[in-house]
Amino acid sequence: MNNRNYNIYFNTHTISGIIICALLYVIFFAGSFAFFRDEIAAWQNNTSYKTYETDHRHFDKLLDSLQEGTNLHGRDITFYLYREETFAYVGYTASNDSILNKENLAKITPEQQAANQKGRRRGGSGDAKNFTYNFASHRPGDYAQNYDMGEFLFRLHFLAQLNQVPIRLGIAPFGYLLAGLTAFIFLFALITGLLLHWDKLVSNFFVFRPFNKWKTVWTDMHTALGVIGFPFQFIFAVTGTFLIINSVLALPFSKLLYHGDQQKMYQEIGVTANDNYPYSYKPLHAKAKIAPFLDLAKSKWPDSEFKRITVKNYGDSNMHVIMELEPQYNTRFAGSGLLTVKVADNKIIEEKSPVADATYADYVKSLLYRLHYGDYGGYPLKGVYFILGVMGCLVIISGILIWLVARDKNSVPPRKRKFNFWAANIFTAICLTMLPVTAITFIAIKLSPQVDQDFIYRVYFYCWLLFSVYYIIRKSIRRTNRETLLMGSILAFLIPIVNGFMTGSWIWDTFRNGQRDIFVVDFLWLMIGIIGVLAYGKSRKFFEKIH
Amino acid sequence: MPANKKYLSTPFQRFLKITAGFIGGYIVMLSFHVLLTTFFEKKDVVITAGFTGYLLWAMLLLFAFLSKNGWKIWGIYLLLAAVFSLPYFLKN
Repeated sequence: MNNRNYNIYFNTHTISGIIICALLYVIFFAGSFAFFRDEIAAWQNNTSYKTYETDHRHFDKLLDSLQEGTNLHGRDITFYLYREETFAYVGYTASNDSILNKENLAKITPEQQAANQKGRRRGGSGDAKNFTYNFASHRPGDYAQNYDMGEFLFRLHFLAQLNQVPIRLGIAPFGYLLAGLTAFIFLFALITGLLLHWDKLVSNFFVFRPFNKWKTVWTDMHTALGVIGFPFQFIFAVTGTFLIINSVLALPFSKLLYHGDQQKMYQEIGVTANDNYPYSYKPLHAKAKIAPFLDLAKSKWPDSEFKRITVKNYGDSNMHVIMELEPQYNTRFAGSGLLTVKVADNKIIEEKSPVADATYADYVKSLLYRLHYGDYGGYPLKGVYFILGVMGCLVIISGILIWLVARDKNSVPPRKRKFNFWAANIFTAICLTMLPVTAITFIAIKLSPQVDQDFIYRVYFYCWLLFSVYYIIRKSIRRTNRETLLMGSILAFLIPIVNGFMTGSWIWDTFRNGQRDIFVVDFLWLMIGIIGVLAYGKSRKFFEKIH
Repeated sequence: MPANKKYLSTPFQRFLKITAGFIGGYIVMLSFHVLLTTFFEKKDVVITAGFTGYLLWAMLLLFAFLSKNGWKIWGIYLLLAAVFSLPYFLKN
């Protein structure tokens, strides 16, 4: 490789890496846990969805109970289903019937109005409403009440909490934009990193010199784990950019190729169903029921799951049920299905099987989503994904330390050396305290009788702030490293124990009862504890010896 | 170990290269995919761009850094973008 190119790869890799390191660590760390998002939710609520038996009549029961308080006639109702159809985000619009809508609006009391105004972003405005519903426990709630640690870590991994920052640059809220930019710069850093290492890729593959100097420790760790994890990280850089900020492409494509009609573009690539069914102002003769249609879809395609169910014009003679389905990904990798039924005469309007005839677009889309979510191979695969994700964290930390150590010599002016240490110290303090802070929050949600969004935010962010500030002031990266590892591992051991004490669901009970989702979370923390303590013990002598 | 300064560019050249790579690279990437729609189905190109778009963009960013002159790479990228979008403008 010529010297000029080598130095350019080197410089661009270093600069892009150091710019994104802290954010990328947060993304990797939270993202690794987000693979177990549903399991963490089940664990927190102590309700296993693995043991839940699906019964579609619950949908009609839910609608009936809603009907008691609100006139649903003429409204559009949407269910987004999660956690193997045990949990839904439910929303209904204002009635499509203009007369009924006026009546409904007149019925809204000033108190309801005030409550609605307050929760406008989540709760919907006017006569529309959004809420969550848990089919396993038959518990409705609003978003903030049903918030859980899985949701928190999932959203943290694309920096959604930063959306509160009131900067909006056209295409996306601040947090998403930052996450998207980080993912793209990460992709760039991966390419330059690979090219940088290209000539030595084979010869240095087995080089590991952990007993020489700090610089070789960090360098070997960075390249060894970086090379092994490369395909994984590469996939995540690309799919991550796509998932968080694809409007960068979708907007211009829809402008140039679809005359600005984004809806049409998404319909063509099979993301949205046609839902243009006008309200007819003639009521349906029979009582509106949706369970038979859900049963019909499931009997047609048993190996599939509902993604979204939309009920158009509830109770009207032009009422339609639009069911969007996905295959169960451990049986089939790609596909998207659709079944639209007109309720008045049970006629099937649109039909596409989720388990057959997958198009090219279905396959590509599936690759983009499935490779990112890691949900196509059960728990063993998720375990491997988790380990590779944690390896990503180690690559980032060792990268920061190489950067620091390489500049820590007499030829560098003291002012710059001071700044470098200052930056590395802050970065490592913020990154490494995530492990104990996450563990503390897992314990806190079990100890507190009432857990909602506010509670999780407060515990997590205040602890994080406190710990980071402490280690920044402490000014010893070695201490930050060692202490957070030890503290995190001990707290990790406590998590299954606290869960057992508080709920009675001990780790062996959940294993025996087939509540695999709850078991997995306890098991994961147990493993983190064991490996953490082992790593702490093994590295102890080594840390004393090395200079 | 930091990279040898002798191979890195002056601040203004660096600015030109970064903008050429990020903005120019984006325009080239977009126009290239629009060009592809003359040979393949629109929807297939749009979804495939989820992979190829970001990858191509990142590589174009790197090429800009590898170039010797920031002005030249801006010129090359603009020229490429113009050539790639010709069929689109002729059609519309």
